[in-house]
Amino acid sequence: MSVTVKIMERKGSSFLEKIYLFEIFKGMRVTLGHLWRNLCDNSRLYVRHYPEVKPEITPRWRGRHRLTTHEDGTVKCVACFMCQTNCPAKCIMIEAGERMDGKSEKVPVRFDIDLLECIYCGYCVEACPMDAIRMDTGIFSVTSYDRESVFVGIDELLATKGAFDEEEYKKGGA
Amino acid sequence: MAEMIKLFVNGVEVEVESGKNLIDALKVVGIEIPHFCYHPALGADGNCRMCLVGIEDGRPPLVPACKTPVAPGMKVQLDTGKIKKIQQDMMEFQLINHPIDCPVCDQAGECTLQDYYMTYDAQDSRMTVPVVSKGKKMDFGCGVVHDQERCVLCARCVRFTRLITKTGELGIVNRSDEARVTTFPGRPLNNRYALNVVDLCPVGAMTSQDFRFKQRAWFLTRDKGICHGCSKGCNIFIDHNREKYKDDIIYRFRPRLNEQVNGYFICDEGRLSYHAENEGRLLAARVDGKDCSVDHAVQAARKALGPKILMLVSPECSIEEMIAIKALADAVGTKLSGYSDGYIKAGDGDGWLIQDDKSANRAGLAKLGIDATKETFNGALNSSDAVISFNNDLFIHDTGSEFRQKLEKMKVIAVSTHNNTLTQNAAIAIPVASYSESSGSVINKDGILQHFGRAVQKNTPLADMTQIAGMLGSPIVTESDIASEMKKVLPSLTEVIPEGGLKLTESEAAHVPA
Repeated sequence: MSVTVKIMERKGSSFLEKIYLFEIFKGMRVTLGHLWRNLCDNSRLYVRHYPEVKPEITPRWRGRHRLTTHEDGTVKCVACFMCQTNCPAKCIMIEAGERMDGKSEKVPVRFDIDLLECIYCGYCVEACPMDAIRMDTGIFSVTSYDRESVFVGIDELLATKGAFDEEEYKKGGA
Repeated sequence: MAEMIKLFVNGVEVEVESGKNLIDALKVVGIEIPHFCYHPALGADGNCRMCLVGIEDGRPPLVPACKTPVAPGMKVQLDTGKIKKIQQDMMEFQLINHPIDCPVCDQAGECTLQDYYMTYDAQDSRMTVPVVSKGKKMDFGCGVVHDQERCVLCARCVRFTRLITKTGELGIVNRSDEARVTTFPGRPLNNRYALNVVDLCPVGAMTSQDFRFKQRAWFLTRDKGICHGCSKGCNIFIDHNREKYKDDIIYRFRPRLNEQVNGYFICDEGRLSYHAENEGRLLAARVDGKDCSVDHAVQAARKALGPKILMLVSPECSIEEMIAIKALADAVGTKLSGYSDGYIKAGDGDGWLIQDDKSANRAGLAKLGIDATKETFNGALNSSDAVISFNNDLFIHDTGSEFRQKLEKMKVIAVSTHNNTLTQNAAIAIPVASYSESSGSVINKDGILQHFGRAVQKNTPLADMTQIAGMLGSPIVTESDIASEMKKVLPSLTEVIPEGGLKLTESEAAHVPA
């Protein structure tokens, strides 16, 4: 394999460049040009108007988790502990109990995810044999003023709906 | 030692013990033959056909390994295409109607069907017809939950109730794919060893109500232990786990093979005695009803020590603990009693594993020459003004009421693992580690000395009894001192205690020093 060598011209060696002052004003012209343009017309901003304008999230994005439900609203999770076993961050804490709705025998009575410990690797989603846990809520920013509110329980995980339709989600390789 | 013979497995010569069947003999040299129905304690049944092996030049050439005794020069084939095909086909048969509910099955992780599927089958189901549905979550009594769909009909449970407990509650009804294990109407499992069927079951058909959904099998740490439920000293596995942000607790006891003591089984009472290790424990030291540090309580107890204090040691203590306590009594110059008639439930034993004496180490008391008679205890109690109990619950099983009045007038110091009537009324209560949290040796009722190691590591470990005895002033507390003292008391103990326990000699078992 031949190597192409490109010799770069070293800048900054001319007299004008060496006295800096002229170059500083050249730089300021660019900066002030941006400022002027933004002041005149805000819609031509080079960056996104976050948080007013949210980025578009693809269905494959691994956002905050949710627990899915059957069509009748009962939880799909059967507390098999596959996600907890597979979790490299050990952020999932499950407690299993007897299930009474006839769907299965086992149900999680407690399903906590410590989002501060989660590394959003998606291993839990891959391990799940029931498609009960997904990371398709589209929530990419998990911020809070206290630790307790980012320790999400089963109710919160069940309450959040998926941000994409089933077909789009399945296209993502799920 | 049985005679050794040579035979060939897959063309390789191996030396095995004669008189055994192929499964057992080859297991010793590390060759596994898959099987469902065979169990060393229940004998060969030959119904699962999973252990079929080829015998080169043999008539017939294909035999069940469980029913085939080893013979010199036998040429066993395990890896030929034909045998592998048979194993795969047998697995396919077993899995035809299997519900594959591993996610909700407690056996998952320690299931023979799962292991064999990965090793011998590993193919998708070719079944297109709906699976036969049978009874699920059936209450068989004694805390046994049965799932007929998961059952592989190996009949281990049926044979257990017929051959071992001789109660015969279980049977297989119907034939072919409608065959199922069931009880007779209105006659559930009713014997004191019923939960052994949970261990015997190679799949998840028999599960324990007590352990149901508590933990997945792969989270558990399995440590070896000795059951302290009675004087039999059954060998057990202590399965425990420390969940995140929680303490290390025990989830179940399982029997551990020891031919010399308990064989393959334990009783249900012993199996469920792990609850006592988790619950009702004395966790904080108390002086005059107020919680305080262990050091403070020990200092207070030390001040009370004197010739007029009666020491009471429990028959549950290990030999090591007894040695330390005896040395303490000698140093203080006071009487030491092992009176503990309350631990004996007369008529409860059954001559097999369950014993009348519910204490683990009464033989150890005798070995150390600690008097345990009621008369001496009563006499000593009358001449004392204080009592220090080392985990001896005088009022256990609501006994010892005749001493209650006397003890009320005396200063009572209780060094105890559990909260009980004695600790509640004690002036000083000091918590100590229980047998799952400490190590030691016990002698069972047959004179077998067994050692157990520490299994559970609590977040805030409690001091063990020898440590407390040392803090109170016992001169013998270091491991080496105790070990040399033990060798003095037990002359047949020359080296370390062997894995399966050490049978003490007859003369020694009867030996009670003056």
